[in-house]
Amino acid sequence: MDSSSGSEFDYLFKLLMIGDSGVGKSSLLLSFTSDTFEELSPTIGVDFKVKQVTIGGKKLKLAIWDTAGQERFRTLTSSYYRGAQGIIMVYDVTRRETFTNLSDIWSKEIDLYSTNQDCIKMLVGNKVDKENDRVVTKKEGIDFAREYGCLFIECSAKTRVNVEQCFEELVLKILDTPSLTAEGSTTVKRNIFKQKPPTGSDEATSGCC
Amino acid sequence: MDAKIGKFFESVGTFFTGGDSIPWCDSDIVVGCEREVAEAEKGSTDELKSECLLRLSWALVHSKRSEDVQRGIAMLEASLPSTSSPLQMREKMYLLAVGYYRSADYSRSRHLVDRCLEIAPEWRQAITLKKSIEDHGVIGIGIAATAVGLVAGGLAAALSRKK
Repeated sequence: MDSSSGSEFDYLFKLLMIGDSGVGKSSLLLSFTSDTFEELSPTIGVDFKVKQVTIGGKKLKLAIWDTAGQERFRTLTSSYYRGAQGIIMVYDVTRRETFTNLSDIWSKEIDLYSTNQDCIKMLVGNKVDKENDRVVTKKEGIDFAREYGCLFIECSAKTRVNVEQCFEELVLKILDTPSLTAEGSTTVKRNIFKQKPPTGSDEATSGCC
Repeated sequence: MDAKIGKFFESVGTFFTGGDSIPWCDSDIVVGCEREVAEAEKGSTDELKSECLLRLSWALVHSKRSEDVQRGIAMLEASLPSTSSPLQMREKMYLLAVGYYRSADYSRSRHLVDRCLEIAPEWRQAITLKKSIEDHGVIGIGIAATAVGLVAGGLAAALSRKK
């Protein structure tokens, strides 16, 4: 299985999406993976989607982890930071507190839980389709990104403006970082495939692997 | 035996779907959630306690270890009757459906996920789960049909030998 799946792509990257509840993380993911947009119910715990793409001439498998923004799930979602090569911090350009919480809460969560020193961070201002309701300016986003050393893009999951670019830019930057590509081609793949069959030590007694 | 069949279905299912739809949870996350529950037992508010328990059930039913999944199912089944809030009810039903799915009890899982979708038709996580169950169902029926065919073939062969 390892070898056959391994030949389908050059790298496997783990991306993580974080940010306040209702900023549109799941919508952004859905918009990227299935070209659709819906008003979604809040995510329970953690969700994930896999998408295969070709970016920068490389065949990539992206495992994108979408975390619940609600505080009651925070201790659960924090466990999913480890091993991520890219972290997408999403805020809603029409709700200022979702932007300020990035520095107050989310960037601290990254410092606490991310295990990857070189992990690429990307700031994403979502819902630019609601231009009339905008309260966070583009300049504020740019300044934040500069201060925290992350990439920045504004997009709309609804109109799909900049959605693909968002993931593409992040992935290009990961591909540009030797320590991350080294992981993506070996360790991560192994870890992901370890998840499918039950591990020997677990002695699983049913087919729930 | 059941376990083996389950595992077989699971591996076949994984082969067809890529097994990429429902997240997994490592055992250390389960341990972390247990610790939180233990802490909360020492005098947190009921609300905090129930949040901790919900996280623990999430971790258990998404665990790779079947005994965790079974424990998660038992916890959720026990707490459903006393759940009054519709939101909590539907979250627990969803988690229970994930647990049944992971223990290859597809009909019960399907039943619960259908109830979730009656309440919230656009619930994406429930839709994904339903699709995963259906993928298993189709393959399961295929395998069952093959098995019946094999048994029938065997019987026919045995009968013909008798003659």
